[in-house]
Amino acid sequence: VCFDFAKDRYGICPMVQSQQKLDRALVRVQDLTPEKAEQQIWVRARIHTSRAKGKQCFLVLRHQQFTVQALLAVGERASKQMVKFAANLTKESIIDVEAVVKKVEQKIESCSQQDVELHVERIFVISQSEARLPLQLEDAVRPEGEGDEEGRATVNQDTRLDNRVIDLRTTTSQAIFRLQSGVCQLFRDTLINKGFVEIQTPKIISAASEGGANVFTVSYFKTSAYLAQSPQLYKQMCICADFDKVFCVGPVFRAEDSNTHRHLTEFVGLDIEMAFNYHYHEVIDSITDTMVQIFKGLRDRFQTEIQTVNKQYPSEPFKFLEPTLRLEYKEAVAMLKAAGVEMGDEEDLSTPNEKLLGRLVKEKYDTDFYVLDKYPLAVRPFYTMPDPNNPKYSNSYDMFMRGEEILSGAQRIHDAQLLTERAMHHSIDLEKIKAYIDSFRYGAPPHAGGGIGLERVTMLYLGLHNVRQTSMFPRDPKRLTP
Amino acid sequence: MPMYKVKPVSPADIKIDVPSCMYKSPNVHGHGMNCGEHALQNGEVDPSLKALEERQDEVLRRLYELKATVDGFAKTVTTPDADLDASTPSPGPAESVFKGTADLDSLLGKDLGALRDIVINANPARPPLSLLVLHALLCQRYQVLSSVHVHSSVSAVPPPLLSCLGPRHIDSYARQRFQLGFTLIWKDVSELQMKFSTQSMCPIEGEANVARFLFRLLGAEPQDPAAATQMDCWIDKAVFQLSEGGSKDRAAVLRSLNAALGRSPWLLGQEFSLADIVCACFVLRAGQTTSAPVNVQRWLKSCQNLGHFDCVYPFLQ
Repeated sequence: VCFDFAKDRYGICPMVQSQQKLDRALVRVQDLTPEKAEQQIWVRARIHTSRAKGKQCFLVLRHQQFTVQALLAVGERASKQMVKFAANLTKESIIDVEAVVKKVEQKIESCSQQDVELHVERIFVISQSEARLPLQLEDAVRPEGEGDEEGRATVNQDTRLDNRVIDLRTTTSQAIFRLQSGVCQLFRDTLINKGFVEIQTPKIISAASEGGANVFTVSYFKTSAYLAQSPQLYKQMCICADFDKVFCVGPVFRAEDSNTHRHLTEFVGLDIEMAFNYHYHEVIDSITDTMVQIFKGLRDRFQTEIQTVNKQYPSEPFKFLEPTLRLEYKEAVAMLKAAGVEMGDEEDLSTPNEKLLGRLVKEKYDTDFYVLDKYPLAVRPFYTMPDPNNPKYSNSYDMFMRGEEILSGAQRIHDAQLLTERAMHHSIDLEKIKAYIDSFRYGAPPHAGGGIGLERVTMLYLGLHNVRQTSMFPRDPKRLTP
Repeated sequence: MPMYKVKPVSPADIKIDVPSCMYKSPNVHGHGMNCGEHALQNGEVDPSLKALEERQDEVLRRLYELKATVDGFAKTVTTPDADLDASTPSPGPAESVFKGTADLDSLLGKDLGALRDIVINANPARPPLSLLVLHALLCQRYQVLSSVHVHSSVSAVPPPLLSCLGPRHIDSYARQRFQLGFTLIWKDVSELQMKFSTQSMCPIEGEANVARFLFRLLGAEPQDPAAATQMDCWIDKAVFQLSEGGSKDRAAVLRSLNAALGRSPWLLGQEFSLADIVCACFVLRAGQTTSAPVNVQRWLKSCQNLGHFDCVYPFLQ
């Protein structure tokens, strides 16, 4: 056994229990660029891959969306034992590496940092990973088609969701949730700038607000209560309490036994409610402008994330018009009829028809986002304000992204008497909604609003196909963990 | 002795009577003719000939009358469009020059109860001036819902381009009250494009072609094929030589415009037409109108006086 001259320069560190305060700057993988050439720096990252080749060991180090190549070769600074140690490190282990940044002549296509590589001087393990991983990250990032072609594995959705902690480490997942965070932030910023107030509404409520059986029941001391299907009731009460313009971000619970690509039992709702002066289009304009500001913000500031996601899930970039295109329901029916669909003038749009309409609108106006105004009254909830000129229609609207509905909204009835009539017309038990109707008895301003689902908007913006990809720990009729 | 002998088909000595005179006509002056047939010689006129002469006179007389009437009109129209006072610039868009009607149903398809929306995708670097003029004309004939949008492929657009179709209509929220929609989208496109019914029409490309389509909606297309061809000819000149040609081509077009406008107030004669709209817009966009020939400058002033070109001037440097 030869003497290991490098034994001080590698090893497994004792568990970090905050034993010492080291004055050491750790550079992020993202910041490893040619500007740092020849500098000796410390990096903390995960081992993405490690491959030994004779007297050399090639490592790919990963931190969130970014990867960089690192090289350890037997020589003056590294002994054979050190190289062997590095080659045997398990994937996903977290290591601290001291290395010199070197420029490379040929771009390293497989990494995000393509112009540099690290020449390792010291390598220490901070947290070791078990050898057998439930899924391989390389497989999890592989595009579907490529997997089938080259006979390599891809990871199916259930395996990903069962091992979500590891799946979330992939570059694609990191990019998706960073972008989702951006959506939320842009939503807040835009509305605050428009003078909105953020409110928090209760989620444990005494009566089903939307009506219907899609509520979760929870035991509440000696009785039972429900989980809120939407913050509708409380948003409106805030308007009646003179807050004028409110929004809230919070969970929404829907006990719908739908196993589709776009339904979750729990999701994050971004809801808006606004009092207006004379016409509910003031509210539509506000909402569509907010959406446009979100799209612009994503387009201008999150291109890195969008490109990362597109590597695994290629899609067309998201297109929109400013101001937003607004069509009327009658126009939509005419367009569908011209395309060969048979439907009644007051029929609701089925999902395939919505998709077809989205394609027709895209073909004519080249936009993935538009508003459909003046829905028939018969297909809307009881609190929707009827159209003043034609009782068969209503002051309600839906908004679509890539042909799928993301927002359903309307002018709300703010007159207690009319509200009672409409509720009776829909055979709703007035006792259950007494508190709701009461809030309009003491002067209520005309108001309108709507809500979007964060996960669905992120999914459609990126052109993904399943809402579970954009929900960190999704909940659906078949999944309650992690 | 000859090898083959052929029996003669005809005898060699047939007598042929060759005429010496090709055509024979009766001798008018011959003696011994019936005097009754030639009463004309005495200065009297054959009634059928007389009738013919009288008809001829009548036709000539009517022609002279028409000519006099037309000359009279020409004299009253010393400046074009004499029913409008075009000698001083009018404060706003004048009454529409075009009073024809067009059958929208046959041009645009049956009205299915929805707004018939014409969508035009244009590059903000090259605003389609002639389409702005046509839009103003359409607004006078029909109830048009105009909207301007910016596509996400373009990051920002100067404010004049956002208001180029005029102020938003008060009733713009009730889309079905309008007969036509005119939606202008500023987009990163290489060639201007118009879409109407994606199911039954392919897109129309090029400012001139879209202008021709919109002009048809005004019902003012020249019925005479010669005039229509001339109109197309002028439009093509504007597109290929004024806009896409070099400085020599531009100079040539200005010369031919000058020549044509020396003979009549508008390019097709007495009537203002699409040829004037397109050529004027392209001339204005090419710039240097102060150095243009005399007739061209006069004609541009007349266009300006009509008022329909007001929307164009904010976009000229």
